[in-house]
Amino acid sequence: MIQVTNLFKKYGKSTQALKDVNFHIEPGEFVSIVGQSGSGKSTLIKIIIAEEKADKGQVVVGGWDITRIKEREIPTLRRQLGVIFQDYKLLSKKTVFENVAFAMQACGFKQKDITKTVHQMLALVGLKDKENRYPHQLSGGEQQRVAIARSLVHKPKLLVADEPTGNLDSINTREIIDLLKKINNLGTTIVLVTHNKDVVNGLKSRVITLDNGVLISDQSQGRYLL
Amino acid sequence: MISFFRVIKFAFQGFFRNFWLSLVTVTMMLMALFSTTLLIGIDYIKEATLEGVNKKVDILVSLKVDTDREDVELLATDLETMTEVKKVTIITPEENRVLYEQSNLDEQAKKVLEIFAPDENPFGFSLAVQANNLSQYDAILSFIGQDKYKNLVDNSDFNDFDTFVAKIENLSKVINKYSWYVILAFLLISIVVIFNTIRISIYSRKDEIQIMKLVGAGNWFVKMPFILESILYAVASVALLIVVVYPIINFIQPSLNAYFQDVNVINILEYFHSNFFRIFGLQFLVLALINILSTSIAIRKYLRI
Repeated sequence: MIQVTNLFKKYGKSTQALKDVNFHIEPGEFVSIVGQSGSGKSTLIKIIIAEEKADKGQVVVGGWDITRIKEREIPTLRRQLGVIFQDYKLLSKKTVFENVAFAMQACGFKQKDITKTVHQMLALVGLKDKENRYPHQLSGGEQQRVAIARSLVHKPKLLVADEPTGNLDSINTREIIDLLKKINNLGTTIVLVTHNKDVVNGLKSRVITLDNGVLISDQSQGRYLL
Repeated sequence: MISFFRVIKFAFQGFFRNFWLSLVTVTMMLMALFSTTLLIGIDYIKEATLEGVNKKVDILVSLKVDTDREDVELLATDLETMTEVKKVTIITPEENRVLYEQSNLDEQAKKVLEIFAPDENPFGFSLAVQANNLSQYDAILSFIGQDKYKNLVDNSDFNDFDTFVAKIENLSKVINKYSWYVILAFLLISIVVIFNTIRISIYSRKDEIQIMKLVGAGNWFVKMPFILESILYAVASVALLIVVVYPIINFIQPSLNAYFQDVNVINILEYFHSNFFRIFGLQFLVLALINILSTSIAIRKYLRI
C-alpha cells in the first residue's frame, strides 16, 4: 500500500526533518507512527498526502510514485486517500452533512449517491441525528467523527490519521480509536500518527518509531518506546 | 454540469453564511463606488454649470433709435447665417422700455423716463445674440463691428464682455484639465481599496480553501465559488449604491434649482436617469472585473497545497 525508500526532507539549511527513512506497509495493516515532537512524523504524513515534497527518495502510495506527482494530479491522489487531522479541519460554515458531502461533491458524484452514502457514513460514526448542526455546535469528539466520516465517504483504501486524538479527552480518544479499529476491520489500511503512549500500547499492532527524522524501530506488534 | 450548479450553490452559501464578512466587503466596495459616483455627479454639475452660463450669456446689441424694423430684421438675418450663431432675438423698443423699468436699477435712474411723454420711447431696437459656445463670441463681435453695420449699431460694451467670456472659458479649461487628475486618483484609490478588501476577505477564509484542497477538491472547484461570490459582491454593492444615490440626488436637486434660480440648468436626476446603464452598468462591469482579477490573484497562493 505504501512503499517509502531512502526518504530525505530538509527545512531550510540546518533542519533535517527526515533522514533516509525506509519502510513498507501492506494493504489492510494498522500502523502507528510514533515519535516526540519534531521527530518528523507529521512531515512524513505531509509527504504521503502530497502537502510537502520530498528532497530525495521515493514514496509510492497505492502504486503511485508521489515524489514525481504533478500539481494537477494531487486532487486525484487525495480522492483515493482518507485523511484526518488533529484540528479536525472541518468547514465551519457548512453543516455536518455538507462537510461530509463536500468530499464527494469535489469528486463529481451524483447528488442521489451523495445523500445515500453520507447518511450511511454518519450512521457509522454515530452522528445521524446531528447532520444539520454546524461544527461549532459539536463536541471535539463529535467533530473528529465528522472528519472520519468525511475521510471515508469516497471509500478510500488508505486512511491517514495525523494525531486524531491530540485534542480529545480519554473517553473520546477511546471512541475514536475504536472507530479506527472498526474501519480497519472492514479492510481499510490505517496509518496513525500519534504520541499517545496508551493508545499505541493498547492497539497491539505494528509501530514505527521516528527520532530526529530517523526511523529507529519498526516492530510488528510493538509498544511505545520513547 | 453538476459541478457547475454546485459551484453556484457554494457561491451563494459562501456569500450569505459569511454574512458579516460579506457586509464589510460590500460596504468597502460601496464606499469606493460612491466616491466614483460622486465624482461623476460633480463632473456633470461642472459641465451643466458651464453650459448654463453659456446659455445665459448673449451679446446685447443696442441699435440706433431711428433704425427701421426692416433693417433690424436684415441684420438679424445676416447674423443667423453665421454658423457660430445659435439664436438671435429681436427686442422691440417697447420691450426694452419694460425691461428697463423692471431692471435692478435704482429709482433715481428709473425716474429719467419721466422726462419723456407716455407715448414717447427713448429706446430703440436691440438684438440678443447667442453663440453655440463661449469661444465663438469673438467672431460674432467682429461681424457686428463691420463698417456696413456702423450706421445701425448704437452701443456695445464689447470689451468687458470679452474679458468675461475669456475668464469663463479659461476656468472651464482649468477645471477640465485638473478634474481628469482627480478622477484618475480616485479610480486608483478605489482599485487599491477593492483589491485589498478582496485580499483580506480571501485571507480570512484561507483555512477553508486549504481544507477543500486537502479533501481532494481541484483548483477550479475551490476557486470558482469565490470568483462567483466576488461577482455577487459587485451586484450587492451596485444595488446598494443605487439605493443610496437616488435619495441623495432627490435631496440636493431642489437646492441646485434654487441656487441657479432655474430648474433647467442642472437636472442631476434626469442625468442619472438617462445615463443609468452607463453610470451603474459600467461601474458594475468594472467592479466585477476588478473583483474577479483580485480574487484570482489573492486565492492563488492558498491553492498551492
